Amino acid sequence: MNAILMLQDGKIFSGKTTGPIKEAIGEVVLNTAVVGYQEMVTDPANRGKILVLTYPLIGNYGINPKFNESPQWQLSGLVVKETSRTVSNWQARTSLDAFAKKQDALILRKVDTRSLAVHLRHKGEMLGIIAGLSSEPKTLLAKIDAHRKNQTQDLIRLTSTATPSYLGPKRARQKIVILDLGVSASLLAQLQSLGTGIFILPYTATANEITKTRAGGLIISNGPENDVNLEKIAQAVEPLLGTMPILGISTGLHALALAMGAKISKMKLGHRGVNYPVAHPGSFQAEITTQNHSFVVDNDSLDKITHLKIVGYHLNDRTIEEVAHNKLKCMGIQYYPQSPGKGQVHPVLKRFMHQCAIK
Amino acid sequence: MPRRKDIHRILMIGSGPIVIGQACEFDYSGSQACKALKEEGYFTILVNSNPATIMTDPGLADVTYIEPLSIEMAEKIIKKERPDAILPTLGGQTGLNLAYFLMKEGILKKYGVESIGASVDAISRAEDRLLFKKAMQEIGIDVPKSGIARSTEEGMRIGLEIGFPLILRPAYCLGGAGGAIVYNRQELEKFLEKGLSVSPVHQVLVEQSVLGWKEIEFEVIRDNADNVIIITSMENVDPMGIHTGDSMVVAPAQTLTAQEYNEFVDLSRKIIRKVGVTGGGANIQFGQNPDNGKIVIIEVNPRLSRSSALASKATGFPIARVATKLAVGLTLPEVINQITGKTSSFFEPTVDYCVFKICRFAFEKFPQAERVLNTSMKAVGEAMSIGRNFKEALQKGIRSIEISRFGFGCDSKDAFTDQMLKNLSPLLLQQIKDKIRIPNDERIFYLRYAIKAGLSIDEIYSLSQIDRWFLDNMKQLVELEERIKAARASSGDTEPDISAEVLREAKENGFSDRQLAYLLNSKEDVVRQIRKKQNIKAAYKLVDTCAGEIDAEKPYFYSTYETKDESRASNKKKVVILGGGPNRIGQGIEFDYCCCHASYALKEENIESVMVNCNPETVSTDYDTSTRLYFEPLTLEDVLNIIELEKPIGVIVQFGGQTPLNLAVALRKAGVHILGTSAENIDIAEDRERFKRMLQKLNLLQPDNGTAFTFEEAKGVARRIGYPVLVRPSYVLGGRAMEIVYDEATLEKFIAEAAKVSGDHPILIDKFLEDAIEVDVDLIGDGERFVIGGIMEHIEEAGIHSGDSAMSLPTFTLSGDILTKIREAAYRMAKELNVAGLMNVQFAVKDDKAYVLEVNPRASRTVPFVSKAIGVPLAKLATKVMLGKTLDELKFTKEIIPAYFAVKESVFPFNRFPGVDVILGPEMKSTGEVMGIDADFGLAYIKSQIAAGQNLPRKGNVFLSVRDKDKRSVIFIAKKLHELGFHLYATEGTSDALSKNGIPVKILVKIAEGRPNVLDLMKDGKIQLVINTPSGRIPRQDEVKIRSQVILHNIPYVTTISAAQATVNGIEILLKKDLKVKSLQEYHRNAARKTKK
Repeated sequence: MNAILMLQDGKIFSGKTTGPIKEAIGEVVLNTAVVGYQEMVTDPANRGKILVLTYPLIGNYGINPKFNESPQWQLSGLVVKETSRTVSNWQARTSLDAFAKKQDALILRKVDTRSLAVHLRHKGEMLGIIAGLSSEPKTLLAKIDAHRKNQTQDLIRLTSTATPSYLGPKRARQKIVILDLGVSASLLAQLQSLGTGIFILPYTATANEITKTRAGGLIISNGPENDVNLEKIAQAVEPLLGTMPILGISTGLHALALAMGAKISKMKLGHRGVNYPVAHPGSFQAEITTQNHSFVVDNDSLDKITHLKIVGYHLNDRTIEEVAHNKLKCMGIQYYPQSPGKGQVHPVLKRFMHQCAIK
Repeated sequence: MPRRKDIHRILMIGSGPIVIGQACEFDYSGSQACKALKEEGYFTILVNSNPATIMTDPGLADVTYIEPLSIEMAEKIIKKERPDAILPTLGGQTGLNLAYFLMKEGILKKYGVESIGASVDAISRAEDRLLFKKAMQEIGIDVPKSGIARSTEEGMRIGLEIGFPLILRPAYCLGGAGGAIVYNRQELEKFLEKGLSVSPVHQVLVEQSVLGWKEIEFEVIRDNADNVIIITSMENVDPMGIHTGDSMVVAPAQTLTAQEYNEFVDLSRKIIRKVGVTGGGANIQFGQNPDNGKIVIIEVNPRLSRSSALASKATGFPIARVATKLAVGLTLPEVINQITGKTSSFFEPTVDYCVFKICRFAFEKFPQAERVLNTSMKAVGEAMSIGRNFKEALQKGIRSIEISRFGFGCDSKDAFTDQMLKNLSPLLLQQIKDKIRIPNDERIFYLRYAIKAGLSIDEIYSLSQIDRWFLDNMKQLVELEERIKAARASSGDTEPDISAEVLREAKENGFSDRQLAYLLNSKEDVVRQIRKKQNIKAAYKLVDTCAGEIDAEKPYFYSTYETKDESRASNKKKVVILGGGPNRIGQGIEFDYCCCHASYALKEENIESVMVNCNPETVSTDYDTSTRLYFEPLTLEDVLNIIELEKPIGVIVQFGGQTPLNLAVALRKAGVHILGTSAENIDIAEDRERFKRMLQKLNLLQPDNGTAFTFEEAKGVARRIGYPVLVRPSYVLGGRAMEIVYDEATLEKFIAEAAKVSGDHPILIDKFLEDAIEVDVDLIGDGERFVIGGIMEHIEEAGIHSGDSAMSLPTFTLSGDILTKIREAAYRMAKELNVAGLMNVQFAVKDDKAYVLEVNPRASRTVPFVSKAIGVPLAKLATKVMLGKTLDELKFTKEIIPAYFAVKESVFPFNRFPGVDVILGPEMKSTGEVMGIDADFGLAYIKSQIAAGQNLPRKGNVFLSVRDKDKRSVIFIAKKLHELGFHLYATEGTSDALSKNGIPVKILVKIAEGRPNVLDLMKDGKIQLVINTPSGRIPRQDEVKIRSQVILHNIPYVTTISAAQATVNGIEILLKKDLKVKSLQEYHRNAARKTKK
């Protein structure tokens, strides 16, 4: 069916949907990675977004449940140039289209995604709506506007676990807590591969509840950004500062930074892709990271937090990528700690687990 | 880390002549490296034997040596220039090997030269099969089962243990030369012998075959702070078993999951670290089992390569430039990405398009060669295309390789009609299946036939192992083709009634107007009009390294059919330069050199240059060569789109070889202004009849000739002018389908062949002047004044294509009288044709008369050679002339006759085509050229031979066998060889002639008559030089055998008496004098120049 994506600024991009059109509203964001569509559409951090993939040929290698970051399609809508009608990989179990259909999800195809990307680069990320071709633009704009005004970004409630659970061996040598803002399956898999026992607690967990687990450390997981619940989470974390090692990952870093008194600000165009350079002050060594965020820890707001060090920054736009507070045994990363390869664990996670082991 | 301050002088080694497996890509990487080192303030010394390169332009390096790439000459250069470091990673396998051998011989150590970019250890770990295997196993990466054979016996043992099929890879060989897939004992033995003899270290890897596995490549860069980035992944459409240089390739890889991709990235990082590349790039080739994802490593190239050039052009990331900066100590975060202009090079490029590479082959030049593809590379060139999907890129790619095809079939050139494919005969079905099962250069079209014939994707997959994703995309094109056909016009005169929606979809999927016209029973220009009316126009998108995330400052462009055009055409004065497209025999790097110079000239004149080309190997497709670059096929449709967008003051078609010239007429018809010599005058030179009238008017001689469309007409012409005659089609380059014909029966055969190539144009028939001396003249004119750039005397007699002949500048036997006649004739013709720009004339000199063979009012293949020899950039001057400057203003008013000699020699791909006879003729067969330069002709000639890979002996045995006609002339040659201490062997007839003249010679029996015969001696390494002139048009069986052995054992050989004379003279000089090295800058500076009016 012919359909459109209309942006908050009135700009219209046309495309086609495979199934019937149902309207979808969300923040329109770009991801520049060539592969990884399945991971992206199931990443809880992408909850409610309209995700535009700049790579034009999507779905080539199909879908396999084992690549899911969560069991669920998290997007409000996926916007692409072309989806593959055939799948070709020995691991493919189904196609992207079939997966979307089963999940009752919306894919807008045949969009000039390049122009859309360039438009967002110029104008900044904004809300958008996917709707039928014949929709009245004024009505659509009104809907976007209403969404913007009523928007109490309350998504962590949906992406976090409802009940506490425990993962891993009962008598694990090391146990940690994950405060679940929308934790991804691949992060859990890495930690499990280290033999760690993991308490997964809902975002509403209090400092007391976390302490009671007697775990050696706390990871504040990734999840939707700019969420109303972040302040509350920060408040819960604050009393824990200095009592146990804490690692904040991406949105988890935002919660940690808020707990320490920092501010969070929005970028014009987020970092979403697998090619972002992170440099470390005083070192010629840098690394390429996977990122998925539009908000960053505000640099100036860090000045008044003593002993907090910026240990990683984005090489091109100098945004904060990694902080460490040695006294409080806190660290935070803005990027995703993706496994560097089959069966391997990201060095930051290893470092954190090491710190948790020091009594 | 800042750049290294402990080194100051850096030696760079080029890759030598263009051969199969090593083409323009090393000019591109070498010139980027030169510029990068200069930027950092180093003193650069360059050695390369190939004059047709941009890198050897004086000015790019501080000191430029055009000398043979031999250990001996390299040592002399090192001794003279005393570099602190050598950068061996930019000159392909040749450069890397030379550096490796300089190390092995202790020369680097002796002069305290450090290898930067890739240490000697790193080179060894990547190139030495055993070390490589061990290194990979240490980091837990699987390699195919294999063993190193140093002898045939050892190889047989290893091979039988692993089991068939097996892949054989000779060590230190470029482009898989001598490589083979063997299926049985017999083949194993045969190819082991061959492989051992071609490997410079006499090692062959005998390897388990992973035939049919996916072939995946990664381009990786590492700096000395141990930062590693991936430039791109690439997936070969043709699976393992076909050399990647012959495969169709897409970038990025299309069928890998994110996890698989990450695994490859992880392995690539481990591999580049283990190999030990510090400050440079590497290309890593993997095989992956499509059924279970198992990965094996095939090969690592710790240097810039053909694949890295492709990766560079595919992503916009200038790998050679960055790698060079890393080699001198900078780190990736410190180097700016010049495409975006604002980000660091420590950023992995990402793309929002699909890149497709497809190869150009030259089987038509070697009809005796088996038309199959395997692990030994055979492609002579390649084109790259960019689209928003694979289908668009595929179709653009096919029309880019200039094989007169305009996309994925349905362009009126298909071998089988739809009807034939629908009612498939069992025979045709078998033929299609065979053509898919056994890889060959036409397979892509047979895939389409198979789809049209109703074969299932699975069936085609099982025949070809081409991934189903690619096959399904091809099927989508066939389905779309059917939908387009539904709108077919009833007659050619009515306008087809095609909906805007289908038309747009067709264009989005890469269908050319030519294809649409065929499918719709219409004409190309009509389709174009319909399109424009519907507002379906090409939009241009960017290659910007970042998928649009950053506003790039210096991107380049490709066309597609999308909603928004991102082109950046300015209102400034600009000129469009049409490039030469893919390399092929007859049209190669020389023309790219000229196009680049056009661009440089425009820059100097403050006019914008707009380059159109699709060859990813070249300097012309480098991001900073022109103001704007369009990576597009050179067809009328694609070129017109750009011209309509850019609105240039003119278009340069003189420099890109035949490709742009073939478009000249149509462009002019479309109202495009062609710069330089008028299209009208170009036509006079190209049209046989008009040309003849011009010569008559000017009172110039021409061999008797005529034109014909049919055999009957040809017969009449030949009878009138008398045999032998030279038969050839019009409007072709490189002597395609050209033959010397001695009788009527042969004439009939060749008329048929020539007619196929000639198309609508007549076949040309000339009287062939036997034993004439051929002369090439390059000339420049501004419409008023004309100046000869160079007069070159061929070493081989007339009848051998000028592109294959060795030639000398200045001339070495011609009398002053004849030279005067030649000069006068050239100037008169230039004046008559009002030449504005370059012109090339070919003469044949016989009996003190100069006959005009042909005139080409455009840049010729010899322009870079002449420019290097005389020290004047002719192509650059020609561009300025076309823009209205006079030669007076440019201060080039007199012919320069150098006081030294420059000899151009050609290099041939015979070792790639087993079974092809090595004799030369009017059809061009060489892929590249070298230049030898020295104080006298003999020295220059000998240098050219060494540079061309002829390892001329100083002692030993010479085998002579010449045709009757040459018996008299060979006596002098044999006598000289005898005096120089060589032992002579000859066949009966030749030895008769020699003994009668008192020259001691041993007679060898005919091959069939007993042993040991000459073949045995050659095998045993007892023959150091072969002089063998062919006996006639149909060579004797013995001769062919001898000549193919020559190639197999890499024995120097000559097939003409004139070349034999020059060779023997050269050997004499070699024995008496020591070869010296001298830089181009010294020649140009010091040489006393004689000038002639």
